[in-house]
Amino acid sequence: MAEIQLKNVSKRWGSFVGVDNFDMTIADREFLVLLGPSGCGKTTTMRMIAGLEEATDGDIVIGGRVVNDLDPKDRDIAMVFQSYGLYPNMNVYENIRFPLKVRKVDPATHDERVMRAADMVELREFLHRKPAELSGGQRQRVALARAIVREPNVFLMDEPLSNLDAKLRVSTRAQIKNLQHELKVTTIYVTHDQIEAMTLADRVVVMKRGVIQQVGTPTEIYDRPANTFVAGFIGSPAMNLMEGTLSGGTFSGDHVSISGLSGPDGPVTLGFRAEDAAVAETGPQAEITAPVYTMELLGDATMITVKAGGALVSVKASKDYRIEIDEPVGLNIPAEICHLFNQKTGARIDV
Amino acid sequence: MKYKTFAAFVGPSIFLMLLFIAAPLISVFFQSFYITQPVFETVEVETCTPGFPTQTCVTEQKTQPIIGEDGKVVTTVKYVGLESYRNVLEPDRAWAALSAFDFRALLTIDFWKALRFTLTFTLVTLPLVIGAGLLIAVVVNNASRLIRGPIIFVSLLPFIITPVIGALSIRWLFIGDGIMTAFLEWAFSQNISMFAQGWTIELLMMFYRVWHVAPFAFVVFYAGLQTVNQDTLESAIIDGASRWERLRYVIIPHLMPLIVFISLIHLMDSYRVFEEIVGFSSQAHRISLQWLTYDFLTPDDSGNRSISRASASAMLTMIGIVVLLVPLLRKTWRDHKGGRV
Repeated sequence: MAEIQLKNVSKRWGSFVGVDNFDMTIADREFLVLLGPSGCGKTTTMRMIAGLEEATDGDIVIGGRVVNDLDPKDRDIAMVFQSYGLYPNMNVYENIRFPLKVRKVDPATHDERVMRAADMVELREFLHRKPAELSGGQRQRVALARAIVREPNVFLMDEPLSNLDAKLRVSTRAQIKNLQHELKVTTIYVTHDQIEAMTLADRVVVMKRGVIQQVGTPTEIYDRPANTFVAGFIGSPAMNLMEGTLSGGTFSGDHVSISGLSGPDGPVTLGFRAEDAAVAETGPQAEITAPVYTMELLGDATMITVKAGGALVSVKASKDYRIEIDEPVGLNIPAEICHLFNQKTGARIDV
Repeated sequence: MKYKTFAAFVGPSIFLMLLFIAAPLISVFFQSFYITQPVFETVEVETCTPGFPTQTCVTEQKTQPIIGEDGKVVTTVKYVGLESYRNVLEPDRAWAALSAFDFRALLTIDFWKALRFTLTFTLVTLPLVIGAGLLIAVVVNNASRLIRGPIIFVSLLPFIITPVIGALSIRWLFIGDGIMTAFLEWAFSQNISMFAQGWTIELLMMFYRVWHVAPFAFVVFYAGLQTVNQDTLESAIIDGASRWERLRYVIIPHLMPLIVFISLIHLMDSYRVFEEIVGFSSQAHRISLQWLTYDFLTPDDSGNRSISRASASAMLTMIGIVVLLVPLLRKTWRDHKGGRV
């Protein structure tokens, strides 16, 4: 049972700041996802928790114990790596048993524990194979089994699905979610894939250049992004962001005019999600009227993209909607789906 | 690649290998079954010395080589089967010594004496070379970037030095009252002469060989260390493996093909130990198989070389190397086939 506290943790290499003042508490049994583009410091944060990287400043507390000066092996954690990190000279059974062996756990219990871990990830029939004889998905399951065999207090997962193909990713993702539910272990999961973050997390931390942008449940982050970076990172497609000016509750920009908004007058960024808007007749009742830039068929929907407010703006239409490029189209953007952001700082303007 | 292009690339080296390796080998193989001897004739010679009242004449039988038309000694080549091998191995004496468990007696026979030294030398230096090479490689790999370059340079020096010069310089350090001997005498306050008995020379020779070859092992292992999977290493750290366990379970298995490679090279090289014998002038105490062959080839007082015994000794050396390599080659072959399942 472990609650993890990160107290103003920073990592600097010379003048380069990897992680800046990371401060948060991760509840026991919580599934926390660190999300961000590459180089945002999410992996560094996890490696500091693991002890593979030393924190320049701040305290890391796991289960009420300051672990800054403890070796990784004394922190009672297990980690799963992107490229599996298996021992190529050992078979699957020995790979899973390795943590027990080097920690001098009573050998009489090894077999039972390895078998239990192997069953959890459905690997029993592969126990005698070498890692080289397994597929990517199976290898990652071996890594998972090796992580759970010791029943640690914390799981750390560093982009465990990034090396798998799309189909395996979905099934392994489900397996991880189920495993965490079953084992009730505090889990920190690093990814740059926002869909993984949305599906797995109890809470998501969005990071950019070493700084936390927003912490919240997936729903909060999706519905109320704290700034334009989060808005542009979460969702598929990401939120449309248009530049314009607000005056008297009406947002106006290139090809766009939305009224019924409330906010301070002046230049703002307006965002809305493609799936909230709809295609309408051209004319004054449509908030955006512009020629079609491109049309994409997604299968379950048709995506219409136009140029408006100095950006490409996409809207999802029904799956049998068809239109030609350069044909004028009207888009319906009701005021209640719009988010307003400060044009300079990118911060959300709450009404 | 087209067969023609392939042949054009590989052809010259195959030709040279046949000419300079295979042909001499076959020639040596055949020469070990033949002996070349001058043809002798027995003549009756009457030698007279002046005397009184008559000269004193002695008639005696004298054996002398026949001189041919061209003024050179006439020789014949005779097939002798395994005779030369018998002359080298001396099986009767060796067997008698063995059955009496008298190893001292066995070691009075040149071949067995040389074999004893060669095997000890090879098998003792092998683990030391691999151990020392691995140790330096791991230390350098963990050293900070700043001092890594100088360390690599210094540890490579012994490898660059010409073998005989290296052996000689160690000999000079220890012989007579060389500075190392002087130091040892000072440290242990007793008289030390490193070159008065066989075993101290043997130790110095092994020390020299390890000193000379370990840098090569180091360079190869150091290159291998750069390709260790960092994720696997970090997994091992988190799984709780100590430094030693990481070395044993992750790094050494990863370097295994290179360890086998170094072992093969080292076995082949050190079984042919020769420079040390010359450099340390240890003939009186310790000889190697290669030196034995050389000794057979050196002309004796009447200018004869024992080509056949040298050939037999060379063939025996080669057989020894093959026997030593078989276990390693079999392991490599098994791993190679195992990897293909």
